[in-house]
Amino acid sequence: MNLLSLYLLDVTLILPLVGAVVVAFIKAPADAFRCCFGFVVVTFVCGCGASLEYLSVPNDVIRNDDIFAIDNLTAPMIPMLAMLHLLTLMGTAKSHVTISFCMRLLLAEFINLSIVSSHSRSIIVGLLLFSIVLPAWDLFSRGMRLRGYLLYMTAFALLLIAGWRMSENSTSVFAVGLLLIALLIRGGILPLHGWQPPLFQRASLGTSMLYVLSLVEVLAVIRLVLPHASVGMLQVGGAACLATAVYCGALAVVQNNVRRFYAHLCLSQTSLVLFAIMAATPSSLTAALCLWMSTIVSLGGLGFAIRSLEARFGELSLSNYHGHYNQVPGLAICFFTTGLAAVGFPGTIGFIPMELLISSSMTQGLAISLALALAAMLNALAIMRAYFALFTGRKPTTSVSLQVSPIERAGIVIITLLVFLGGWFSPSVVESRHRVAEELLQHHLNGREVRDADVGLMQAAEIDRRTQVLRRWRQPAPRPPFRRDLNELVSPQELLEGLLIL
Amino acid sequence: MSFENLLSFLGLLTVIAPALLVMIFFVAFLWDYRLHEQTIGKMIQSVIAISLISAMAAAAIMVVRQIAHYPIEVGDWVITPSYHLRFEFVLDFLSLSYVILTLVLCATIAAFSTRYLHHESGYNRFFVLFSIFMLGMVTAALSDTVETMFAGWEMVGLSSVLLIAFFQERPSPPRNGFRVWVVYRVGDAALMLAAILMHEINGAGDFDHLTGNNAWPAHDPLLIGPHFTLLGVLFIVAAACKSALVPFSSWLPRAMEGPTPSSAIFYGALSVHLGVFLLLRVSPVLDSSPWLSVALVVLGLVTSAVAYLSGRVQSDIKSALALASLTQVGLIVAEIGCGFRYLPLFHLLGHACLRTLQFLRAPSLLHDHHQLEDAIGSRPRAKKAEWEQRLPKDAQVWLYRFSLERGYLDNCLEKYIARPFAKIFLRIDAMEQTLAAWLNGDQDESTDQTTKRKPH
Repeated sequence: MNLLSLYLLDVTLILPLVGAVVVAFIKAPADAFRCCFGFVVVTFVCGCGASLEYLSVPNDVIRNDDIFAIDNLTAPMIPMLAMLHLLTLMGTAKSHVTISFCMRLLLAEFINLSIVSSHSRSIIVGLLLFSIVLPAWDLFSRGMRLRGYLLYMTAFALLLIAGWRMSENSTSVFAVGLLLIALLIRGGILPLHGWQPPLFQRASLGTSMLYVLSLVEVLAVIRLVLPHASVGMLQVGGAACLATAVYCGALAVVQNNVRRFYAHLCLSQTSLVLFAIMAATPSSLTAALCLWMSTIVSLGGLGFAIRSLEARFGELSLSNYHGHYNQVPGLAICFFTTGLAAVGFPGTIGFIPMELLISSSMTQGLAISLALALAAMLNALAIMRAYFALFTGRKPTTSVSLQVSPIERAGIVIITLLVFLGGWFSPSVVESRHRVAEELLQHHLNGREVRDADVGLMQAAEIDRRTQVLRRWRQPAPRPPFRRDLNELVSPQELLEGLLIL
Repeated sequence: MSFENLLSFLGLLTVIAPALLVMIFFVAFLWDYRLHEQTIGKMIQSVIAISLISAMAAAAIMVVRQIAHYPIEVGDWVITPSYHLRFEFVLDFLSLSYVILTLVLCATIAAFSTRYLHHESGYNRFFVLFSIFMLGMVTAALSDTVETMFAGWEMVGLSSVLLIAFFQERPSPPRNGFRVWVVYRVGDAALMLAAILMHEINGAGDFDHLTGNNAWPAHDPLLIGPHFTLLGVLFIVAAACKSALVPFSSWLPRAMEGPTPSSAIFYGALSVHLGVFLLLRVSPVLDSSPWLSVALVVLGLVTSAVAYLSGRVQSDIKSALALASLTQVGLIVAEIGCGFRYLPLFHLLGHACLRTLQFLRAPSLLHDHHQLEDAIGSRPRAKKAEWEQRLPKDAQVWLYRFSLERGYLDNCLEKYIARPFAKIFLRIDAMEQTLAAWLNGDQDESTDQTTKRKPH
């Protein structure tokens, strides 16, 4: 058999599935861990290979069989998601590894990578539905009650199926609306976020992280909703996302349980990505795509640090000072740097995306920018408070060494390098995400033009406006003028309005 | 090498040297390699020497060649049609004065700290944070774009907060560090919004656009309008947070929890003046509206008055020095509001040097005082000010309580902002947990406790 004849993408997708089957036949958890680790590492390598292969071939889509393909949007996301799974496994203490955990991790990797690389609406919907099973399995295996989780996920599944079935025949506003609500439930957007903090508290942190941090709902919104959504619908969704970012940021500040803190931080950050998608402007889409990547790295790294701490010290509270810095300084630095990256600290991977996001929001009004800055501020407060609670305080005495293991050390190095090198390589990433945003917006406009005949002149005017924006945006980047005419920039009325809003 | 290239090289070397030091610490962390005290001391001194010599050489060349303003373009970091982020430094009177001051004081503090913290368990941690602080200060001082300023500003804030929590085994340093972080984040958010508004107004975040084609402190007469007023307000909020102006003054005495060298350099000399430096750098914006100038004068004088009164009743030397420092910072801000530019700059430079030396002298001064008390057999009596004696008794008592409570600023912020915020969101969180428990059908189980949960 000639292995080279296989596409790397196929191998990347099949390997986790094969791995899950192989692990199912292993009896000893330690062997299952080794086997799982091998499969995850090879999948990561193949994912990188697939992305590099795509970058080396100047085609829009490397395979176009309408099922799984790699394109500009997904090329960086495949290795990024594979890395998230690898880091999740690396952060798992060997003493806590079970065979079912390894199987769930490999299945989650298969589902997440398949969703990202799928171009078929029905496959995406099917995999999103299938992904519900994994956290339920985890909760069930730990003897936790499932009712709350299942209630939300049943609503998600029903709305998703209904929206998908209705949008197969015609892209009516109602159908797209159902899809949007379903994906907002999946993303944990206010007021439909109630399933996420309990999931983080009751399920294993690894499973919860993989379910939430992969942010597959972002891709689903791009593929299923964005091409057909009306402006009003996106605005309502965007407002809900923004409210979630601020609300969950504030809740993260007052948490006394580390898992609830992490859950609310994840909610706040992931809602920012969805908000940027729904703003549907070139710069906001660019910001969303960059933020998607930085969120995976930063919150994945933060989760890694929390899991490693929990493996040593058990359940962690934020209501007192634990003083773990002296025992595990590497984890303290990992926690801190990833936390800073999550809130867009300069020099880290999150800086440019946050700057782009807030900058792009200026066109929607000062109040929006203010809300985004407020969300970022609250998240930063939450992270610093958690850092002080976990790592400062009187050093506890232990009879055994709690130093990080070599595999954890490797994880810390990878995360730290990604956080800082990601910051350095941001310009090239932003450039490539620009192109993708341009394509997506064009697709969105095309979708709207198809419906234009039905919706009348008002929406046509909106399309004209957006097309003009796009046309202006496509022009080569001009050097900023030394100073624009002040009246041309903002009218006095607009400025007065901005001041009043502020 | 032409002198332009030489100037660019020297300017960049001033920033690159501290950046390299931070990089060395980072690589050491990645390799899990613990640097020796002596190695760290030598590295710090060498880096500061290189940086300082570069800055002074650049200043000398500019004086000889009579160049008032020399921008150094590092390059465009990100360019999109709607957003563009450029890193650019500038060599002018303001930036070179402040960067030389920074490096001189950093050299003094580094030399002092290598002995003062000898064999201290957090020696490495102190110098890592010190190097981040120095990089931040140099970056902010030489910045010619608001983004570059923001990067330096954030580094200074972060390292300051972590140094306040340096003695992390006690609960109060992290607690006070967190309070300072809250105030700093408000300032950071204001600066970030200002940066973005500046992009909207000018199409770029360059400070050059505020001064026209002239060197600082000249300003472009076209900078008039409500958008510039809003921009000025955001800059003032950012500066007020960083320089502990009213109503954000309460964090400054709390910041004295850190080791003496960090208190000296951060809150006596450099960090507390960074807000003032920002106001000087964006002074063309402040000139655009008389209301901004009036606000600055009022803010500065009120800060100065509150800090003076509070400083009079302090019982520990570091807090007294911090509040004395704030008194001067308030006056400098008022000078800026009055339209002076060189006066506040020289005031800042002189004050920073004086205060650093006072802070460094503080521990040994206490020793001297003890000797003095032993010699005279009692405590030396503090004299009341003339005007204090003329006040009615009730007013004296009220003023004493007002001063002791530091103008009730801390209490007000805690009572009207922090506590209601925590109360509201804790209640909301409890409601959410109750709802989640009800949906799960486990009302009898305590929702905050995840009993029988395995860690993974």
